[in-house]
Amino acid sequence: MIEVRHLSHSFGPHWALKDCSFQLQKGEFLFLSGPSGAGKTTLLRLLFAGIPVQRGEVRVAGFALNQIKDSAVPLLRRQVSVVFQDFKILPDRSVYDNVILPLQVRGLGRVHSDRRVRAVVRALGLDSRIHLLCGELSGGEQQRVAVARAFVVNPKVLLADEPTGNLDADLSFRLMDLFKQFQAYGTTMIVATHSQELVKRHPEAKIIRLEDGKITGANWPGAMLDNGLAGAPLNGFNTGDGYASGTRSLSLSRQANIRATMRQMGPDGAVERKTTGDDKK
Amino acid sequence: MIRTFFRLVGQGFMGLCINPWAQILTLSAVVLVSFLVGLFLMAITTLDYQLSVVSGETSFQVYWRTGQNQVEIDEQWEDIKHLPGFLLSRTYTPEEALKEMENRLGHTATPRNFAFLSENNPLPATALLTFSPGVREYETWLKETSQYLWNLPGVERVTVTPLRDELGQAWRTVNTYVMRPAIFFLTLLLGLVVGNTVRLAFLGKSYEIEILQMVGAFNWYIRLPLLVCGAVQGLAGSSLALVILRFIHIQIRDVLNFPPLLMEIQFLTPEMTALMLAVPTGMGILGGWVGVKRV
Repeated sequence: MIEVRHLSHSFGPHWALKDCSFQLQKGEFLFLSGPSGAGKTTLLRLLFAGIPVQRGEVRVAGFALNQIKDSAVPLLRRQVSVVFQDFKILPDRSVYDNVILPLQVRGLGRVHSDRRVRAVVRALGLDSRIHLLCGELSGGEQQRVAVARAFVVNPKVLLADEPTGNLDADLSFRLMDLFKQFQAYGTTMIVATHSQELVKRHPEAKIIRLEDGKITGANWPGAMLDNGLAGAPLNGFNTGDGYASGTRSLSLSRQANIRATMRQMGPDGAVERKTTGDDKK
Repeated sequence: MIRTFFRLVGQGFMGLCINPWAQILTLSAVVLVSFLVGLFLMAITTLDYQLSVVSGETSFQVYWRTGQNQVEIDEQWEDIKHLPGFLLSRTYTPEEALKEMENRLGHTATPRNFAFLSENNPLPATALLTFSPGVREYETWLKETSQYLWNLPGVERVTVTPLRDELGQAWRTVNTYVMRPAIFFLTLLLGLVVGNTVRLAFLGKSYEIEILQMVGAFNWYIRLPLLVCGAVQGLAGSSLALVILRFIHIQIRDVLNFPPLLMEIQFLTPEMTALMLAVPTGMGILGGWVGVKRV
């Protein structure tokens, strides 16, 4: 689903990424950790064609980003949803209008779109806020709107850049639990974070640690990294120290909501989505 | 697809209601620029008109064929006096023309007496007709009067006065080297200012455009509402400017229409009016197009 080979990127004389390589299969979950300025955001931007690939090879959801034409970028972005740290939602529009936006862009029918939006909004606990303007919501609610907009299209890949950066610890853990729930239905996820606490709560996830643009450590079951860093020590990451992983902290009703949502999303849903050649790698 | 198209066009109109103050300011800028350019064009049109019309009077020289029945010609001369704008006429029967020629040539001519020609006079009947048609619809009047004179039975030739020809020549030169470049320059100015104003207005939508690009919108999807919005702003702005111009024109039309100026201020020609509407609309559309950058 995602294949990165010897990827390097520079902004002027400064190298933001140096010779990074990794692969992710369908439905895998990767934490991209590291301090600020390590290159996490640059890597994510490269993965959704936000900036052009300078050196190395990148394939995402079947698109070779080295050669991608401008006209094909929207097609890529229909497969790849992004959740930004600053949410990137329209504050003067309602929750409903923000969440339905990607479906309108795809030209989906009103009835079908409406059903999907309401299902996702309900799953994320925003149904009582659906007609409020996003500018009137709290930071946590705005973040959930951004997540709802990302998931309403059942993306093949979800990229999240510091999605918990504006949230308190409790909301952060709940948001990650939501991510894990959706991931279970086949979406490949990369979450960039500098929060070690967050990573520790998900020992089953793959982890790449970036420092100064280089991969300096990884927890990589299956040794898929080219650079021999699989299983390299992560300085306290992924120690299996008893953090609750996954669904336990989610309420049972919320879990039921998510399951119902995925069922309602119908034939385009992640569960029933066709497996591409890329996915079989 | 068609439903999406109409929804996006609708969004373009609805976009005018978002941030109404910003939209009003943009519209005001378009109206102001269009109005100023319209004023300049009105001045040019008026000058054009005044230069192409001799203030008050137009003269025709009419020649009849030799040997035409003078009684019929006299009747025609009477009829001519009832034409619109008729001021005065100076008519010459063939005999009067011969006598006039004798007088003009005077002592310098040989032979000094043209009496031998009186039996077989080669000169035609002629009339020098002077009209004061006024300035309204001058071209139509000129065309109709010329046609009337040409169609009189027995008429061989009709000319406007040489003075008018020379003026026409001079005006064509001025028109080529001054007026056309001035109109082109003013239109260009109008287009650039309106286009840039609309483009700058869309910078406020850059955040929304960025989000649309992130969720996979194609360029046409993002641009269509902006193009509609830009076109509406350009068309509405220029239309409003034309309405204001027309209102002002009605108020000041005869301000300079007194002797010796006798100058009636002219409104824009239909071609200029069309240009005034098309250029801001087109540039509004262009402003919407270039306002979108790839993220």
